[in-house]
Amino acid sequence: MVDLDWLLHPVASGALSRLREALRLSPRTVRNLRTEFRRSALAKLGVGLIVCALLVAAFAPALAPHNPTNQNLNDNQLPPLGFDRQTTNTTSKMVNGSIEIVNETSWVNSTGEHPLGTDSLGRDMLSRTIYGARTSLIVGVIGTGIAALFGVTVGLLAGYYSGRIDDALMRSADVMLAFPSLVLAVALVGLIGTASVRVPDPFVRAGLTPNMPETFTLPGTVIIVVGLVNWVWFARVARSEALSVRSEEYIKAARAVGASDRHIVTRHVLPNSITPIIVLATIQVAAIILLESALAFLGFSGTTLSWGFDIAQGRQYLSSSWWIATIPGVAIVLTVVGINLVGDWLRDALDPGIEGEGGGP
Amino acid sequence: MTTVSLGRFLLKRAVQGVFVIWGVVTVVFLLRFITPGDPVTFIAPLDASQELRRRIAAELGLNRPIYVQYLDYLAGLLQGDMGYSYISNTEASARVFARLPATVELAVAATVVAVALSIPLGVVSATRRHEPVDYGATLFSLVGISTPNFWLGIMLVLLLAVQFGLFPTSQRGTGFLPAVAGTVGQFDPGLVVRLAVELRGEALLAYLGKLPLVTWLAHITLPAVTLGTYFTALITRLTRSGMLDELGKSYIRASRAKGLPESLVRYKHALRNTLAPVITVVGLQLGTLIGGAVITEAVFAWPGLGTELIRAINLRDWPLIQGSLIVIGAGFVVVNTLVDALQAYLDPRVVAD
Amino acid sequence: MPEEDSSLNRRSFVKLAGGAAASVALAGCGGDGGDTPTDAGGEDGGDGMGDGDDTPTPTATETDDSMGDGTDTETATDEPDMGFPVTITQGQPPSTLDPHNHRETPTDSVVLHAYEGVLTREPTGEVVEKLATGFERVEPGLVRFEVREDVRFHNGDDLTPRDIAYSINRIVDGDVGIESPQNDQLAGVTGASVVDGERAVEVESDGLNPVVFSLFASYCDVMQRSWVQADDTEPATETNGTGPFQLSSYEEGVEVVMERFEDYWREPADVTELTFLAAGEPGTRVNQLLEGETDVIVNVQPQEISRLSDADNARVAAEASTRIIYNGMRYDVEPFSDPDFRRAMNYAVDLDSIIENVLQTFGDPTGQPTLEGFVGHNPDVDPYEHDPARAEELVSESGFEGAELELHTPNGRYLRDFEIAQAVVEQVDSLSNVSCEINQRDFGSLAGELTDGDITTSPPLYLIGWGNSTFDASQTVIPLLTSDGAVSSYSNEEVDSMMEQAQNEGDREERESILQELNATLHDQAPWIFLNRQYSVYGASNRVEWTPRADERIDAYAMSPAE
Repeated sequence: MVDLDWLLHPVASGALSRLREALRLSPRTVRNLRTEFRRSALAKLGVGLIVCALLVAAFAPALAPHNPTNQNLNDNQLPPLGFDRQTTNTTSKMVNGSIEIVNETSWVNSTGEHPLGTDSLGRDMLSRTIYGARTSLIVGVIGTGIAALFGVTVGLLAGYYSGRIDDALMRSADVMLAFPSLVLAVALVGLIGTASVRVPDPFVRAGLTPNMPETFTLPGTVIIVVGLVNWVWFARVARSEALSVRSEEYIKAARAVGASDRHIVTRHVLPNSITPIIVLATIQVAAIILLESALAFLGFSGTTLSWGFDIAQGRQYLSSSWWIATIPGVAIVLTVVGINLVGDWLRDALDPGIEGEGGGP
Repeated sequence: MTTVSLGRFLLKRAVQGVFVIWGVVTVVFLLRFITPGDPVTFIAPLDASQELRRRIAAELGLNRPIYVQYLDYLAGLLQGDMGYSYISNTEASARVFARLPATVELAVAATVVAVALSIPLGVVSATRRHEPVDYGATLFSLVGISTPNFWLGIMLVLLLAVQFGLFPTSQRGTGFLPAVAGTVGQFDPGLVVRLAVELRGEALLAYLGKLPLVTWLAHITLPAVTLGTYFTALITRLTRSGMLDELGKSYIRASRAKGLPESLVRYKHALRNTLAPVITVVGLQLGTLIGGAVITEAVFAWPGLGTELIRAINLRDWPLIQGSLIVIGAGFVVVNTLVDALQAYLDPRVVAD
Repeated sequence: MPEEDSSLNRRSFVKLAGGAAASVALAGCGGDGGDTPTDAGGEDGGDGMGDGDDTPTPTATETDDSMGDGTDTETATDEPDMGFPVTITQGQPPSTLDPHNHRETPTDSVVLHAYEGVLTREPTGEVVEKLATGFERVEPGLVRFEVREDVRFHNGDDLTPRDIAYSINRIVDGDVGIESPQNDQLAGVTGASVVDGERAVEVESDGLNPVVFSLFASYCDVMQRSWVQADDTEPATETNGTGPFQLSSYEEGVEVVMERFEDYWREPADVTELTFLAAGEPGTRVNQLLEGETDVIVNVQPQEISRLSDADNARVAAEASTRIIYNGMRYDVEPFSDPDFRRAMNYAVDLDSIIENVLQTFGDPTGQPTLEGFVGHNPDVDPYEHDPARAEELVSESGFEGAELELHTPNGRYLRDFEIAQAVVEQVDSLSNVSCEINQRDFGSLAGELTDGDITTSPPLYLIGWGNSTFDASQTVIPLLTSDGAVSSYSNEEVDSMMEQAQNEGDREERESILQELNATLHDQAPWIFLNRQYSVYGASNRVEWTPRADERIDAYAMSPAE
């Protein structure tokens, strides 16, 4: 009989501490990481970009010059610094009961108040871009965590027990794979609806940044759904790792001395699979950030502070105010480039033998 | 490898594929029961009585036990019946299959763009390592895989359509085949020659610009580039690293030592061996292609399956939601199986696994 | 397969469901506002983008041979006289060609060229005869129309009173023909019959029905009874009316082409051929107009207007529409059960700034449910001022300090709807004692919740628009603000009884003063956050002489070639 009872205790309880242990990587690995980092300018660039993004996200209230949701309707569509422009302002006027169209040409000047300009409701683009980093990174990291937790559990189970369980789990993974993650995510979020969670902002609570939003809105449905649609990649990697170690001598030895399946999987199989899982997780954070932005772009999001949301808004103003859609996109590209560079660095240094898996944009 | 074992392999994959499609259908069917909202609410008239609501539910068979509905749905599917769309007076299957060609056209165009650009770029990049072209290609592929394609599409619209008016910003025009037929029907080589000889460039361009095939090309260029960029970048990356691997292997050095021409070494041996793993990854990424198509359609108002799916989701038009998802899922499985077959053909070791 | 004994066969059900869905998709909100497909799933997202929407304006080479005379030269380049073809691009294609089986403005715009009613309106809103030559009230609840002679249907048959009676019954009586989603547009009408031996029709109503002529001026297109009842007729894809244009080709979801009806009872139209296209994206419509591919486009977005103003071949044309944008507040849930709180919401909103900056002046502020120029509008009632301090005070008096609100809004249904909603949310949220968030909703599902006849399924606070082309207060107040209203968020005995009184008042002036008082009450009770009257902003080619109408109808019969 297979011992399935450890499934009842989520990996979260025991395994997390083991995971930390496992992350104490071997000296050789650490050396590889260091050498590769020194050698590669791209790795440095990637780490730099990610550190920047993380700092921006963490200290958003302190860094943003304005409250990102504050509107100033009179100052709508101000251009970024250096892009002063002439515009035709068309208004309507009631003349003798019929509407006449009046055109006026005027200069719109950028201001240091809003270095990246303002959007259609006069909100500060710089502040919105800064806060957008929070949404992207939180969804990316938590979403990846959910995908990894679920996928790795399934994959280890399938690989370790093989046989019928493996067949069943892997066939269901095949079914999952048949749905592009964006399609499945759109369907799930669209049908379930967007719920969100408001988290108090510690900066505002501590009275450091009184003008900033008191709470930060986490798109709850989106986080869970992006996790659930991406577990398959983790399952595949974990399974193949588990398959490859299950016939190793030390596993047989452990079994011979009467170690439980749960013990063997969490103590021996998981730690040996950790390297490729880390590399995959890195790539997945990038994929999920792209997925979140796509969902927000399509209007399936629980928050209005998202790069994808701003792109959707700005898209309607392409012919008059190009920056509204452009700036958040640049932020996404920089963040994702950073993550991909770090992924490349880890892959080159750890050589986990996976190539190119993970979702795309 | 023998033909028999290849045949058996393909048969096995086909059978697996059928089971996966069955799973797809089941998951899609269950979706209605695990998501909130009663379909009747969305379709009943505004002042519908409870009685009318019951009649609608009964008419749609929504009051029957789940397993009966499930079997009924399966039986319908086998006859190509996906039920009636709630929001339009048509069969869901008719709508889905009317939209499918637009999506397929877009996906194929994007793949053509991607393959045509990426493989040469990857090969050149690998063979001219550390030259400017290599750095350019590396930078392009890095940014290419990191750019959300909907944003790329918007930027292309901003630059090429809004600023310079070069391309239409949205919609499809006619399909490819009608465009070809229309062009063949109305093309007048005599007029072209005449205009060219008379050096009436503007008139010539105007004439050519009105040809259906040119209109078709104008409409599909931006969407295809938008959808294809990620794959161009991805395949460039894979081809480059694969080629670098292969070129460093001993059999290549041996071939060179034997005095085989460099082009033969590179393109016949190294590239061929590079392509198999590239195809594997491309196969795995097909889902991304279809997912990307959904959002590309949204950006360019492309009348495909993705647009239809999003619309159906918003209106809770279940027969259409189910139909679109099943066609997307089943389409993926079929194409993926074909990719497997292609791979097995290119690399016999796959069959042995 | 449906059970054999089912009283509805599949086909009739699907028709019913289709009609029902159409009415839901409308919710009395008429057509599309500014339909940006931002949410991509928006109601225009799909159907508005049929293949071939970019087909160039048909030139003589492509016209149907039925057009015939004088247009048979070979190429478009050296074509001297191709008549006066006009193309109109809307946001959505018509959902059907059956004039009684839809409730959408885009469909109306098309079918109203083929079909006509007994009465109609001047562009200014005044009721005038069309297929009737006279109309009078015989007694309370009974009105009579004299039927015009020498009117022919497109198939050559003469118009008879029977056709008119049949058309009315087809709408109001579920047992005649179809179950029409328009039965509430002829509110109160119970049936029609031919007056024996005379060329006249009598129409019965429940109660007095003081607005019955207003209703007939806006609704009820006349179809030919024998044609509809013929076995091989498909009213969804064929037409046979008395209007100035007859159908020449129809590709569902893509294109409707009509030609001038030479046998029309008035002068034939100047426009020789009329084509309807659809393009869901506003920018695309502007491009089509600038490229000369179309002549009239709907719903030009404020930020696109200057592109048209700068052009030399096209212009902007705007008209205040009959549509009001408002935020419904459910009277049955806290904190909106308190009139003080509802007033506070109105004081919190800076409507003038929204109109100037978000709508770029393309809109008028409102302070009552009835628009200026409508029967019952109270000229003494002004919009609420922007007074956040007063708002905060009222909130604390109401005892609902710290209320957390959520505004449900569609995105892309009405002109700048999502921006308006975001501005409202921010202005309410900036009150010190209320917080407010936005919830972007798909229009179809939001309208479904509002129109299901069950107030408890509606969100407590939502943005929606309501078009009323009868120019009478009742068609806004009854459905939206009385206890039994189909889309009501409000219930107040005083309002109900005043409305009832008005509907049973035969004297026009007396009735108007009741309605004005009613509007003053509604201003004071503030069941809504009153927002803007929407403008219809069109783009038109300079080759066409045309002015827009308030009721959002695009009348090609009124178009002529520009000099």
